[in-house]
Amino acid sequence: MYTLQVNGISHTVDVPGDKPLLWVLRENLKLTGSKYGCGQALCGACTVHLDGHPVRACVTPISAVGEQAVRTIEDIAYDAVGAKVQETWQNLNVPQCGYCQSGQIMAATALLTDNPTPTDRDIDEAMSGNICRCGTYPRIRRAIHKLANGGV
Amino acid sequence: MSAESSLSRRHFLRLSIIAGGGLLVACGGSSSKPSNNLSPSEPEDNGPIVEQQFGDFLKIGSDNSLTVFVGATEIGQGILTGIAMAVAEELDADWSKVKAVHSPVAIEFNNPYFGSAMQSTVASASMRGYYKPQRQIGARIRQLMINTAAARWQVDAARLQTEAGYVIDPVTNRSISYGELSADAQESDIPATAELKSPEQYKIIGTSQQRLDAASKVDGSLIYGIDVDIPDMLTAVIARPPRFSGQPLIVDSNAALAVPGVLEVHQLAIGVAVVAEDFWSAEKGRKALEVTWNELLASRTDSELQRSQYELQLNLPGVPIRVDGAVVPAQLLAAETVQADYYFPFQAHAAMEPLNVVIDYDGSRAEIWTGTQSPTLDKLFASLILGLPPTQINFHIMPCGGGFGRRGNWLGDFVRDACQVAAAVRKPVKVMWSREDDMKGGFYRPAAAVRMSASLNTQGEISAWTHRSVTQDMTAFLYGEKLFDEVVELNGGTLPALDKVTDFDSNFVYDVSNVLMDFHLVANLQMPALWMRSVNKYTDIFAQETFLDVIASRSGEDPYQFRRNRLSEAPRHLAVLNAAATAANWGQARSGATMGIALMGHWNSFIAQVVEMSISADKEITIHKITSAIDCGTAVNPDLVIAQVESAIVFALSSIFYGEITLDDGVVQQSNYDDYRVLRMFESPEMETILINSTEDPGGVGEIGVPCVGPALANAIYAATGATIRELPLRNLGYSMAEQHPEAGGQS
Ligand code: FES
Ligand code: FES
Repeated sequence: MYTLQVNGISHTVDVPGDKPLLWVLRENLKLTGSKYGCGQALCGACTVHLDGHPVRACVTPISAVGEQAVRTIEDIAYDAVGAKVQETWQNLNVPQCGYCQSGQIMAATALLTDNPTPTDRDIDEAMSGNICRCGTYPRIRRAIHKLANGGV
Repeated sequence: MSAESSLSRRHFLRLSIIAGGGLLVACGGSSSKPSNNLSPSEPEDNGPIVEQQFGDFLKIGSDNSLTVFVGATEIGQGILTGIAMAVAEELDADWSKVKAVHSPVAIEFNNPYFGSAMQSTVASASMRGYYKPQRQIGARIRQLMINTAAARWQVDAARLQTEAGYVIDPVTNRSISYGELSADAQESDIPATAELKSPEQYKIIGTSQQRLDAASKVDGSLIYGIDVDIPDMLTAVIARPPRFSGQPLIVDSNAALAVPGVLEVHQLAIGVAVVAEDFWSAEKGRKALEVTWNELLASRTDSELQRSQYELQLNLPGVPIRVDGAVVPAQLLAAETVQADYYFPFQAHAAMEPLNVVIDYDGSRAEIWTGTQSPTLDKLFASLILGLPPTQINFHIMPCGGGFGRRGNWLGDFVRDACQVAAAVRKPVKVMWSREDDMKGGFYRPAAAVRMSASLNTQGEISAWTHRSVTQDMTAFLYGEKLFDEVVELNGGTLPALDKVTDFDSNFVYDVSNVLMDFHLVANLQMPALWMRSVNKYTDIFAQETFLDVIASRSGEDPYQFRRNRLSEAPRHLAVLNAAATAANWGQARSGATMGIALMGHWNSFIAQVVEMSISADKEITIHKITSAIDCGTAVNPDLVIAQVESAIVFALSSIFYGEITLDDGVVQQSNYDDYRVLRMFESPEMETILINSTEDPGGVGEIGVPCVGPALANAIYAATGATIRELPLRNLGYSMAEQHPEAGGQS
């Protein structure tokens, strides 16, 4: 039995300790916004925040989560930066298939929270762990620059 | 939709087709006013919203909302938005109240491009096929609304106008919303035809609109196939043979069944299914499984061996697919003939959402949910495997986390596999592919060998041009599958001759009188190959456009001018070529950089692309900018056309630098995004895309941005170093990608 804080709500789940947080979110808590893309910390589709830091939920065993606050895409609209990221993403038609975008938005929100005016190099460093097979990188970059100029 | 115009009113007058019919009622909402000041009559505030269905393709709500049913699959290209725009344009709907959803799988929604034989979202054919008929639907419902209002007001329909979801009488200044008219409108016949707008009347088509699914794609709420959750659903994974066409011989499932959460193990023809309460347990169970495989008939395809076979085959004539003039006499008379051979490996689509299918099958009926580009054939395969008439199968097309052709398999592989599992389990089950399953699962872009030759006469002009390819062909594969014949016949069709369904011509348009293009279309039943975004154009345009630069350089001609001077019969090619060269400042590369250009037309669209890049002594490439000029006829949603070109460039660069699946004695060597690299943010260059406006019918835009990127880049490398690139990926030749760091981050 593990008790975890997800999006401000406490949940208790009866799962083996090695079950990754991603699958607990998706299967046990029915929060399917976080996606499975690789299961190996290679693609970033499963990115969630643990105490505000972006982590790959697919390689985070539930036993390692402990007291840390888990935040997922389903809750990021309640974050001032997250809401602006979502809005800009829509306005610039960033998503294509959209499958990677939960992870992209969680990564971008963490970046902009940490560093409101990222350079291209900062963007490369923060976002290169998130694959987008639809190739939305130019628009993600443009959206982040726009948010930086808008003074998030 | 000629068949539809003969349908009686009865067929059109249905209230909602959602899950078995019935009146669809939602809560709240009031109608919004049109943009003019004509004081519309308001429906009762806060009453329930009643949706009326008109024909198969749309519903109008009493709140004046419009829901459009789309027969093509949303794979990221924006087709739900694009088709809805076409319908809303002719209907004069209020765009702010438009929704689009996937249609059921039914003949009414078949793509006219494929002879209305099926729903299949491949070949950049969705907008090309559905554009006119869907506009016609919109126009007819608009006329119905006008007729209904005319009857209500007792005025001549001819004097009424429409705007943003309202019928307006300019004489009396009255107006009424479609929503208010929709109940009455059900009492009248839908006009069999209606006049379409001319392009200068468009208010929605040709404007850049936000995708209708944008909001649900930024908050995690969109349900993809992989997110489907139904009561008592189990999760299955399949242990597959290490080599294609292998079969399980001896299965020891004791250790697997001992894993907590694992419930069942089934030995199937395709492998061994491990069924569990959840994905994690299923994965653990699969690892614990011990299987001895029967590999007597298994594939032993070996990448290196295949390459040498293909290269040998290049010496033999293939099936001619294009013959202009007489190549052989021209070759005999030539002063010189130049030749070059190319080779391209297998590639995986590697869409972000691994394949998955949810099936609820109880022996007498089935419900299936999956992200697929080929639902008609999938459903037919399901009915054969499950032994059910198609009427007993409720098939849901789900939004796809990428497709690129992998989800458009006319052999229905993933649905067939899932049906085998469901037939054994007979309980609701989600059949999951791990990333590794997806990567190793075959149905790749086929490997190809290409031989180009150009004969030059004594003036140095090209007097003969030949192009020969050896590649596996999806269609040839289809013809090797008996089941496919059965499926096509079941669907009331007959299999057309092979040469009628291939689409291999690279559309060589330069002024050369003698052209021969021939192909060896290899059918290898043990090595599953499929189409991948831009199909053979990726390889054949690469060969054609790089070889052209080699020929141009022999006479010292500039590659842009060389092409430009040989396009007397191809005005749309010429226009994009000029536009790309102008936008890229052709001939004025920044210091230390070179440019390369490439050109093509296909899918009723045309594109020229210019790559400006620098290369270091150790072959590290910095792409400064990729400039594209595209003419896709009517750009229904220009911003999404540009998005498709950007997407295609990134997709192409992944292929060009990294894309390679290798087989060692039949075993696929790659498994995940670490050993099958795709482009990442730091490698994504600056891009500019020019859209050439035209009122021609829309061409396809999902694929056309892919093929020219490779040759344009290779031509820039050739200009910089003189190195000719005759195989991909570039990584195998020692090239690498630098961090790209664009200044502006794309166009604004
Ligand atoms: S699914 Fe976690 S990084 Fe890919
Ligand atoms: S939008 Fe499709 S993978 Fe990123």
